[in-house]
Amino acid sequence: MATMTYLQAISDGLRTEMRADERVFVMGEDIGAFGGAFKVTDGFIEEFGAARVMDTPLAESGIVGTAVGAAVVGLRPVCEMQFSDFISCGFDQLINVAGKMYYRQGLPVNITVRLPSGGGFSGGPFHSQNPEAWFMHSPGLKVVAPSTAQDAKGLLIAGIRDRNPVVYMEHKHLYRRVKGDVPSGSYETPFTARVARDGSDLTIYAYGAMVHTALEAAYALEDASIEVVDLRCLKPLDEAAILASVRKTSKALIVDEANRTCAAGAEVAALIAEKAFEDLDGPVTRVATPDCPIPFSPPLEQAVLPTVEKVKEAARELLEY
Amino acid sequence: MSSSNTETLVEVTMPQMGVSVSEGTIVEWTKQIGDEIGYEETICLISTDKIDTDLPSPVAGRVAEILVEAGTTVDVGTVLAKIATDAPVDPAPASNENGAGVGGSAPDGRRYSPVVSRIAAEHGIDLSQVPGAGRGGRVRKQDVLAFLEAGGSAGGEPPLHIESPYRPDPEPAAAAAPTDSSTEGLSRMRRSIGRHMKRSLETAATCTTWIEVDVGRIEAARRRMGITALPILARCVIDSLREHPALNAWMEGEEYRRFDDRVNLGIAVSLGEDGLIVPVIQEAHTLAPEGLARRITELARAARSRELRPDDVADATFTITNPGQFGAIMATPIINLPQVAILDVEAVVKRAVVVTDAGGNDSIAIRPICILGLSWDHRALDGALAAQFLAAVKRRAESWD
Amino acid sequence: MGATKTAATSTGPATSLTAADRVALLRYMLLMRGIEERAMNLYRQGKVPGSFYDGFGQEAVSVGSAFAMSPRDRLCILHRDLGAHLVRGVAPSRILSQYMGREDGITNGRDGNVHFGDRTKGCVGMVSMLPDMMLVATGMAMAFKMRAEPRCAITWFGDGSTSRGDFHEAMNWAGVQQLPVIFVLENNQYAYSTPTTSQFAVDPVERAASYGFEGHKVDGNDAEAMFEATRVARERALAGGGPTLIEAETMRMHGHAAHDDMKYVPSEQVEEWRKKDPIDRQMARLTEQGVDVDTLRGEVQLEIDAATDQALAGPMPPPQSAADRVFYEGEEDLLLEDGDAPYSGFAEERP
Repeated sequence: MATMTYLQAISDGLRTEMRADERVFVMGEDIGAFGGAFKVTDGFIEEFGAARVMDTPLAESGIVGTAVGAAVVGLRPVCEMQFSDFISCGFDQLINVAGKMYYRQGLPVNITVRLPSGGGFSGGPFHSQNPEAWFMHSPGLKVVAPSTAQDAKGLLIAGIRDRNPVVYMEHKHLYRRVKGDVPSGSYETPFTARVARDGSDLTIYAYGAMVHTALEAAYALEDASIEVVDLRCLKPLDEAAILASVRKTSKALIVDEANRTCAAGAEVAALIAEKAFEDLDGPVTRVATPDCPIPFSPPLEQAVLPTVEKVKEAARELLEY
Repeated sequence: MSSSNTETLVEVTMPQMGVSVSEGTIVEWTKQIGDEIGYEETICLISTDKIDTDLPSPVAGRVAEILVEAGTTVDVGTVLAKIATDAPVDPAPASNENGAGVGGSAPDGRRYSPVVSRIAAEHGIDLSQVPGAGRGGRVRKQDVLAFLEAGGSAGGEPPLHIESPYRPDPEPAAAAAPTDSSTEGLSRMRRSIGRHMKRSLETAATCTTWIEVDVGRIEAARRRMGITALPILARCVIDSLREHPALNAWMEGEEYRRFDDRVNLGIAVSLGEDGLIVPVIQEAHTLAPEGLARRITELARAARSRELRPDDVADATFTITNPGQFGAIMATPIINLPQVAILDVEAVVKRAVVVTDAGGNDSIAIRPICILGLSWDHRALDGALAAQFLAAVKRRAESWD
Repeated sequence: MGATKTAATSTGPATSLTAADRVALLRYMLLMRGIEERAMNLYRQGKVPGSFYDGFGQEAVSVGSAFAMSPRDRLCILHRDLGAHLVRGVAPSRILSQYMGREDGITNGRDGNVHFGDRTKGCVGMVSMLPDMMLVATGMAMAFKMRAEPRCAITWFGDGSTSRGDFHEAMNWAGVQQLPVIFVLENNQYAYSTPTTSQFAVDPVERAASYGFEGHKVDGNDAEAMFEATRVARERALAGGGPTLIEAETMRMHGHAAHDDMKYVPSEQVEEWRKKDPIDRQMARLTEQGVDVDTLRGEVQLEIDAATDQALAGPMPPPQSAADRVFYEGEEDLLLEDGDAPYSGFAEERP
């Protein structure tokens, strides 16, 4: 057990799997000698060599497409998108080639695609997105989104070992802000939700960075007993855990950093409406980013992203409902 | 319907509305000779010691004869009327659908969330009686749960309160009739209770024994469980009866009949000025306090809405009466024949009592104390047994966990 | 790297082929044409749902180049390249079942047409977004190189595909990493209705040099020429010489799909290419050497008839299975497996 940042935990997960399994290698832009834009693979090239810490051409479709090819002949590539936003350039390979391969011809595609996502630091419209819903909507892809250092390592290892294409949403805002005890060695975090805080009056559903926003809001609202569910895995969603919580609290608030329409939170809301209707004591409520690009200027960005204040306000409204 | 040669006459008789009931009174005929009558359609209203009820026709047909006039009291089994029918087999029951679905909104215009509606349906709560603390007075889940917690499952009705038959009128009539006195006669039920009580006192050799019980643990438990104290105390009584089954018995004439395992527990329910009734929790020994609470609530509601079925008032083997809410602390209940004992539960009062700790040291503490009074029939048992039984109840109540 | 390596068009019979190899090439082409003709008839009879695409007139491209691949090589096959599947050993009845959306088809009814790849034969099926599979083949080659395995990947794509970004990304990637991959550009003159003059300003074979490897233009209607060019490219790849672009010049003799009457193609152009039919050419070659091609033709037809009967007798997939098999949760590694490699030069490598 060691205390690590979220970023160090991702590195540790990668390193652990690369040491344990020579089929595992990492590929991406500027990840070798430079160690990656966020330094996740810092020092990797010294340990594993340039072949397994592959600096690729600036070609996102190429990264995903060649990873698929390497996977079907027995390797386990971990692709890094420099920013999750850039996955749009590799979309076709992920959606149409990787996602549908096993369904069509019984050939699993064992790739993991790491997507540094999220805003909050003036990244602007092309370095701040949360594109997880794109992949949730695409059959054949699993989508995970850790919020803690421990889960960052465990979900990455589980993702690498999972035989299917796994989209790993790592939130940039958490890289150096979140620290935690991380078990040493190899372990897998299951693709299920986690109760981050127990409560009985209201449930806040969140994932990634928003788990921390939700927790802060929950602690601030001292008078109420607020449960926080960290979804952890967005596809497939942990239906049982989501429903169990709302059946207890009867009030659901969903915090989603992504643009509101058809976001992960929308799916959670729909699930609750379909399967927990009889348990509801108030409208399923969402705090999400409006349907606009993420603006650059700090006051504009803060205006669109869910904040602790916005979550508190929504929780108060719902508690009083 | 004209008569035909296939027509038969079916008799309508005075039913036995409970084990000890021997007679009943016709209150009113709702059908007259020649009227068509459907299967289970009410032919008349009857009154017995225990309940007032409709008498449903056993068959569809035409009222051919009425043999007993309204106001007449007859023995159980007496033929009251005859119905001509050409239906040789049991006719199909008349449609009796209750089409009123409970939706998310009430007639009072308030709207309820799915979970509030569900909890209300499960516990038989009238949501219009539940105060709402949500926005605009909306009833939230917490509100309905708090209402339940407060014991208000039968919403809108007075809190469950049980009175016993013996309770004297608070104001004995003055020798000279006051000018503001009413000359209104006693209700049929009141008169029937009077007869029944008088017969008990004349028949049984009634003695009463008391014991003091510290109900602190029961009070804590009931708050935790969200029920009243009565079902928990009832459970202590049931267990003590099985330990001392001599009190769980009937005395019919010279014949003494003891029930070793089965406890059918009668609970006296006040019907206000009309009187009271003792609905029965059949096989009460099979129920935990939660189950007893639920049955008591159901029976009390049915009693107050005059919906008790004959089985609901039959075959009690022991009775509890609980008139304590006005603060009275002691009473001498009258045995509900043919049972041989009745337990009276009076008000819980905080008292300074001497408590002894594990080391044998005495001190004075403030404890919630309730006096239990047991009236028992000296023909069936002796005082030592009554005292042992009360001690058993006390032991269970004070160690309730 | 970086030197211009574009070679002249190569043609003519391959000296490395045995007589039996040459017959095999004809046999696979006859099988491909026969199956596709049968499938077109089944399509007209309403037994093949959706649309139907064939490779009539282009049989030499897939048969000739696939024939040069060893059991351990891996293939990403395009929709007019049924011959490659046949060379790898996929049974004709399963192909007809595939066309008809039946349970016994390679995709169990989950995809149609030649959108399939038999995992157990070392093949990956194409997707409709072209040329996505160029990158997949590049990735396979990347893995081979990382593991220092003497293997090669091959993929086919059309003239229209050269306009898309993935063409560039794959060519560039393979060139940068000097990977053992063979790109077969199947230039059949039309991308749907768009002629090559609207597709590119420079013949794509010229581009190979700019990516740092050799490009060769080959007579795509000559199976033996296709074989030979591919064999050479493969040897280069295994020797560490990097990728090769082979531009197979051919002609799409039918419409884009069954519904397309191809009125946008001048009839003289079709007539001119009809004279270059790859099957006629190989038959003439073998007849000259005394092979009884009519008997061969008859045998192939009987095989197709039997396969048709078998396919028609097979069940449709159970509707309740439609959403199954989205995720693989098994323990066993399901990877591409070795396929058939009938070329006599691989006799030692066959199990």
